[in-house]
Formats: sequence, C-alpha cells, structure tokens
Amino acid sequence: MSAIWYYVFTLVFFLFDYFILAMGLNIQYGETGILNFAYIGFVAIGAYVTGAVSMPNSVGTGQHYILGWSIPFPFNLLIGGVAASLLAVIVALISLRRLRTDYLAMVLISLSLVLYDVCNNFVPLFNGADGLYNVPEPMVGVFHLTSNAFVPFFAAVTGVVAGILWFVMSRITRAPLGRTLRAIRDDSGVAAALGKGVFRYQLTSMLIGSFYAGVGGGLIIQFGGSFNPSAWLPGETFVIFAVIIVGGVGNNIGLIVGSLLVETMLVHLPAFLPAIPGHPGLIEYIDAMVIGALLMVMLWFRPQGMVPERTRRFTIPSLAARKDDGDAVAVGANASPKEAE
Amino acid sequence: MTTESNQAVSGATSILRCENIVKSFLGVKAVNGATFDVPRGQITALIGPNGAGKTTVVNVLSGAMKSDSGRIEINGVDVTNWENYKIARMGLMRTFQLSRELGGLTVLENLLAAPKMQAGESLVNIFFRPGLVKRQERENVERACEILRTYGLYDLRDNRARELSGGQKKLLEISRGVMASPSLLLLDEPMAGVNPALIERIGGYILDLKHQGVTILMVEHNLNVVEQICDHVIVLAEGRTLATGRLSDLRANQEVVQAYLGEVINASTHS
Repeated sequence: MSAIWYYVFTLVFFLFDYFILAMGLNIQYGETGILNFAYIGFVAIGAYVTGAVSMPNSVGTGQHYILGWSIPFPFNLLIGGVAASLLAVIVALISLRRLRTDYLAMVLISLSLVLYDVCNNFVPLFNGADGLYNVPEPMVGVFHLTSNAFVPFFAAVTGVVAGILWFVMSRITRAPLGRTLRAIRDDSGVAAALGKGVFRYQLTSMLIGSFYAGVGGGLIIQFGGSFNPSAWLPGETFVIFAVIIVGGVGNNIGLIVGSLLVETMLVHLPAFLPAIPGHPGLIEYIDAMVIGALLMVMLWFRPQGMVPERTRRFTIPSLAARKDDGDAVAVGANASPKEAE
Repeated sequence: MTTESNQAVSGATSILRCENIVKSFLGVKAVNGATFDVPRGQITALIGPNGAGKTTVVNVLSGAMKSDSGRIEINGVDVTNWENYKIARMGLMRTFQLSRELGGLTVLENLLAAPKMQAGESLVNIFFRPGLVKRQERENVERACEILRTYGLYDLRDNRARELSGGQKKLLEISRGVMASPSLLLLDEPMAGVNPALIERIGGYILDLKHQGVTILMVEHNLNVVEQICDHVIVLAEGRTLATGRLSDLRANQEVVQAYLGEVINASTHS
C-alpha cells in the first residue's frame, strides 16, 4: 500500500473515531447541557483500560501496568467503555448533584487535570509518562493481516463500530428520553417542575456519553498501538467541543461534518504535511490558530453549527383531515410522530 | 367569563395545607409564618403587595426552594422540603412569573415533555419494548394536539417555543401544565403582561380547568380577574397570611384594605 493510501485510511480512521467521540460529548453537552470539560479524561481511561486488558501480564514486558488479561477485540473495547462509564458515575455523584454550569465545568476541568497528573506520575497504574506501548493490533492473527493491511482494515472496523453507535444514539435521541434530556438542557428547573428527576437523567447522559468516550479511546490505542499522557492534555477536550460546535450541536449528522472539518482536515491532515524549513512545529501552531478562529467565526455568525439541530415534527393525519373539514377538536387513532428537517 | 365568586368555599376539603412556612434570604424573611389551606376543586387567589412573598410561597410549595421551617401537606401527605420533581409527581404543576418555555423544543415537544414517567424515558424500554414506547408516544401526541387546539396553539406546534410571543408563552406554560394531568395547578401571575382579550381567554381556560376537577392556586394582581373567577382569596403581607375568604368579605377587612386593596377596592365597591 502506498504512503498516500496509508494517510488516507488513517484520516478515515480519525474521522470515524472522532465521530464516536463527538456523539458521546454531544449527548452530554448538546442534548443535556452538561459542560464536560473532563471529557478527554474519559477517552484516556477508555484507551488505557482497553490497552491494559488487551496486553499480556506486565511481567517481562518492560512496562508497568495493571490488569494484563489478554482479552481480545471487541470485548476489550467494551471493557474500556464500561470503565469510562464507571468513572462517570463517580464524577456524577461528586459533582452533578450540587453543581451547575460554570461551577460544574470548573470542577470537571480540575478533575481532568487530576486524572492527568495521576496517570502521568503514578507509574504502576499505566506506566506513567511513557504510557502504554506495544498494544496488540486486534484481529491481525485471525485474518492474517500485514501491518499495511491493518490500517484500512481497522479504519473499516471503526466505521462499523461508529455505524452501530450512531444507530443506538439515534434511537436514544429520538425517543422521549432524548426529549427529556433536551428539556433539562433548556431549563433544568422547568424539567424538574414537570416531575423529571434531573440528576437521574444527567447521570444517564454521563454514562452513555462516557461509554462512547471510552470506546473511542479504546479504538485509538488499538489503532496506534500506544497511548501516553501527552495525547490527552485537557486542551484536547476543546478540539472535540470544536467538532460539535462547528458541526452542529444536537445533530448527529452535523457531528460527522464537524469531525471531517475540524478533526480530519484541520488536526490530522496538516500533521502529514512536511514541516516548514527553519520553523519546526509552526504548522501545529497555525493549526491551533485556525481552529480557534473557526470556532469564533462559527459562534459569531452561525452558532447553530453547519448542520443545525433538527426541529422534530409530528404528522397527525387524522387531525389534519379534521382541520381541512373545519371540524372541532377530535383526534383519531393513527397519529404517527416522525422526525423531519 | 362566568362569575363564580359567589360559590361557597366552606365545607370544601383541602388539597394543600401550609402551616407556618418561613423562608429567609440572608436574614430577610421573605415568608414569615404563612398559613393557609387551598380548597379542593376551587380557584384560589394568592394576593398581596409586591414583596409580600407570594412567589416565594409558590417556589416553596413546588419544591423549587426549601423552607426554613413549617409544614406543607398535599392530599394529607407531608411533602415539606421534598425535591421539586417528587412534588410534581404528587400532581402539583406550576407556571412561572416570567414564562420559562423549553426554548429549543417545539411547542408540541414542550407538551410532550410534560407527562410523568413515560415509557420512552427508559433505555430498557427504548431497546426492548419499542412497541410500548411508540404506542404511548402516539397517545401523548394525540392528547397534546387536542390541548394545543383548545388553547389556540395548534398552528404553532412545530415552532420552537422561544419564537413565541409573551402571551403565547403564557398559554404554552398553562397548556404544558395541563398536559401533565395535574390535580393542583399553581399559576404565578398568569395575566401579567397580557392584553385584555387574552386575559379574558386565559380566565376562561382557568374556569374550564376548574370544571374538569383541577384545583387552581393563582398569584394575581388583577382584582377584576380575581373577582370574576376566584372562589377563595388568600391575602399575604410581609410574608404572613393576613386574611382568607371571599373577596367580597375581604373588602370590609381594614387590615387588608390598608395593606393591599386600598383605594383600588374602595373605588370598585363604590362604582
């Protein structure tokens, strides 16, 4: 496989993976209104746990890490997702019950820094600052894949996982549960006054979103074979926020547009460009400036994002017929709610 | 609008009882021992001068704020300082002094968000009992459309709630409360900032709700409305219950006249 195809499939992998990550953050922020500035921490926990349960016992590997159970794909991925969800329960119990908006955001960003410091400095957990490496490439033995063939193969696997998770997320957001989450986002006081246990729904949203974060992180560590703390500095959370703000908060289609524009085109594509002579790292800085500028432009001129949140419309054939006939209020039995642009 | 103020209030059982409610903010007692009953199946007005603590009482009753002391009973159950969503599940719904619509949701969705304990709010039901979810959703859509037609909002059902006018938002709040099938509806100044024609309509809706068996407790400054639709009046002043009874009786109460009614009521009496 030529280098260009390697790059293309790498970009495809990141497109799908960030779509998964964006869906997870979107249900928390876009649907429920939780400003989860610790999101990258959940991605990291998913990545570390997926990697650690995939790897053999740490004895003799030259690394220090817990678990080491040699669990194959996709069970390792599920464990990574569940680990991130468990962390979400702890975080929610600590923070969500009492804090809202800005204060919650500050606690969560602090939590992200604490997680980072613990993983970076406590070597026995996930090998400290070196992070995990030599994580087995999944299913390579089963399909007899070469290293070159692994990249497109795993990009396709990630696409399938993203498709499944998109289907699940669509079911959730279109259901009354999604509507209740959006009610909480719009005004949690009103939602509570309507009898909605706000904490319970916020916890559900955190659990689902964090599972997606964990799965996305698990895919990253299996694709690259390594993961270390420098990959999940708290600022990375804002790249995922940029994905959903640019793409469209509260719209799953917008998220893939955001993943394509921000993560694929602006973050990963420039990484493959040759460095500017005499200015190593300049491209990365330009990159960050472009993302920042794009965020400001979007928030100023198009805050609803490239693909705005859909207005959910419900077709009620019997009522429409009655209305045409000029009858009084009477509702038939064949109303059928559906979502429309 | 039908005049209902002469209806007797004596003998009606209470749906809501408040005893010595106290609520302070930084040492200032906004509510200072408010005590009253709300008779079942009637329209009760909560009136009083600005700063009397009316909205604070509504907030405490609905669980949006916790009282410092006192006791609140709904249908004989002590719900003092329960969380607001639990009180809502007891059948108490409320509207807000400044309309608080769910702005990102459509008008129809605002109503669909109201029914309590919907099957489709459970992950298990969404994936393992989709038929139940769909059936209940269809029933809710039908009922919400009926209510929207009644309140004149049906043609706006697909508009986002934030796009509505002030009066339409008032109607939306009431219709959303109705969608939740309340036994007690707290209306916080439903006529505030509303044109006379709409006041007439809202008054009619409130009377209709009463005839459907819903108990209403409404904070209101418009004494014409109070006189025309309310069966019972509670006067609050400086956080305390000053008097309760029919408005016609309260006109003769000097304390009430001095504290709130003043020239307004005297003028209406002599006209």
